[in-house]
Amino acid sequence: MTAYGGVLADALTRAPSPVAAFMPGAALGAALLGVALVFGGRGLGAALFLAGGTYVASVAAAGDQIDGSAPLVAVLLLLCGELSAWSIDERLGIRGEAQLAWGRATGIAVLSLAGLAVAALVVALSAVPPSHGLAWTVLGAAAAVGAAGTGLWVARR
Amino acid sequence: MTGFISRRLPAYATLAAAGLVAGLALGRVEPVALAAPFLLALVAAVAGHEPQVSVRASLDRDRVIEGDEVTAAIELSSVRGIDCLELLVPLPPELSSEGGAARAVRLRAGEEGTVELKLRCDRWGLFTVGQVLFRARDRLGLRSWEGTAGEARPLRVFPSEETLRSLVAPLETQVFAGNQVSRARGEGIEFADLREWQPGDRLRRVNWRATALRRSVWVNEQNPERNTDVVLFLDTFAEVRAEGRSTNDRAVRAAATLAHIYLQRKDRVGLVGFGGFLSWLVPTSGTRQLYAIVEALLTSQVVHSFALRGVDVLPPRTLPPKALVLAITPLLDDRTAAALLDLRARGYDLIVIEVSPLELVAPTPGSSLELAHRLWRLSREALRWRYEQVGVPVVTWREGVPLAVPLEEVNAFRHLARPA
Repeated sequence: MTAYGGVLADALTRAPSPVAAFMPGAALGAALLGVALVFGGRGLGAALFLAGGTYVASVAAAGDQIDGSAPLVAVLLLLCGELSAWSIDERLGIRGEAQLAWGRATGIAVLSLAGLAVAALVVALSAVPPSHGLAWTVLGAAAAVGAAGTGLWVARR
Repeated sequence: MTGFISRRLPAYATLAAAGLVAGLALGRVEPVALAAPFLLALVAAVAGHEPQVSVRASLDRDRVIEGDEVTAAIELSSVRGIDCLELLVPLPPELSSEGGAARAVRLRAGEEGTVELKLRCDRWGLFTVGQVLFRARDRLGLRSWEGTAGEARPLRVFPSEETLRSLVAPLETQVFAGNQVSRARGEGIEFADLREWQPGDRLRRVNWRATALRRSVWVNEQNPERNTDVVLFLDTFAEVRAEGRSTNDRAVRAAATLAHIYLQRKDRVGLVGFGGFLSWLVPTSGTRQLYAIVEALLTSQVVHSFALRGVDVLPPRTLPPKALVLAITPLLDDRTAAALLDLRARGYDLIVIEVSPLELVAPTPGSSLELAHRLWRLSREALRWRYEQVGVPVVTWREGVPLAVPLEEVNAFRHLARPA
């Protein structure tokens, strides 16, 4: 909840006036996260999507300047998803060893740090002069197709 | 094993794809940066491989007494290692485990581990335990593989027994030697009476003191020790169940106790399960009969039926002549009442042990149910009166009271009533 609140707070502080235009999405996202936590994860994806959408919309509306905090926001969204899932799993009340919790915490930490590094790299690469616009566009499109394909492949298994 | 993905994995994929598409559409880097950690999570999920796990389950005992604990040992091994292996032993409601029947462990590559579950047997019955449901998950829980292992094995939980010092003596005994002093006269140990000498009487039976007093030869008479036939008549037509307790549970405990102690006395004991599901065991003596009775009791359950049923459906050998019939019933079904009166009319020595359901049915004071409850109790009183009118002792066994108390009441009834 804290991570999600951090993302929304960051988005709303960056949003140009009127901020109220971004409030419905943020409020709906927060409500969906609450629903997801109460009802075992249903709506978690939509909540993350709305928070990310609110952030992107506010950044896009703010101007052309690149937001340097985007990697942090990305990691906060990922943390929100992972910690919510962990919280829901804990409700099953399965008695386990302490090292299992440490293992999962380590896994989340490593994934978050790696995500932070990759996102920071992406932001840093965006500073490269756009002399090779077509190549970057093709690379971006390939990455999008690859991500969608990976998602479909995972969903089928 | 069957593989599953977490519900959040498609959401992550959608988020990543949307971020990349939004980055392209808007010409901004922030959506792409948002997508990057989720893409990494997808890569981490895809990199996971199906684990190879071996799960074996065993019980340290397959026969226990109600209230005892039995240990289920689950032996685990994995060639590649598993970040999180969740185990669940499905348990019937009558068995419980401290901390639940689910455990989670981590297995390193090549490591063998054992998980022990202490199962407490809260109620008697015949159960199958030993099958294990397991779920292997990757470290983040993004993908999982589920399967079942282990073989379901029978676990017999025998009913706990009451302590009894004395039993109800039957009115008539059988012809074989036993521990019950017969009313008949014959060769035995217990002194019965004196009578005048008759041709054929042995010299050692002469009572010299009485002979000297009466100036004619008098001999002692003894009561022989004989065995008895006892039929436990278990009423399984109906029961009252509340808060995990039921009249049938107590009836089965009483039947097991009585069977054990009568068989210890070398009597022949039989069983009739009289209800929706009819079962019987012909009276026999010995340890094997005890096990047969307890096995039959373990599977006895109340099966609702609307079939009219009388004692005619029972094989004649189930109810031998001069048998003591101990009916253990909550007195809830008219068919049982009619069958028991029929047994009495046929001359059987019948005793009714009423397993009281009143403690399990307590109406709210002041409610309209209170009147119905009173009427119900009156109808039960009337039924008891009908039994007593035909010379059948009816004793009420209340919850929390030892079984010895109603049995002593039977002895007192017989002492005072002196039935023919």
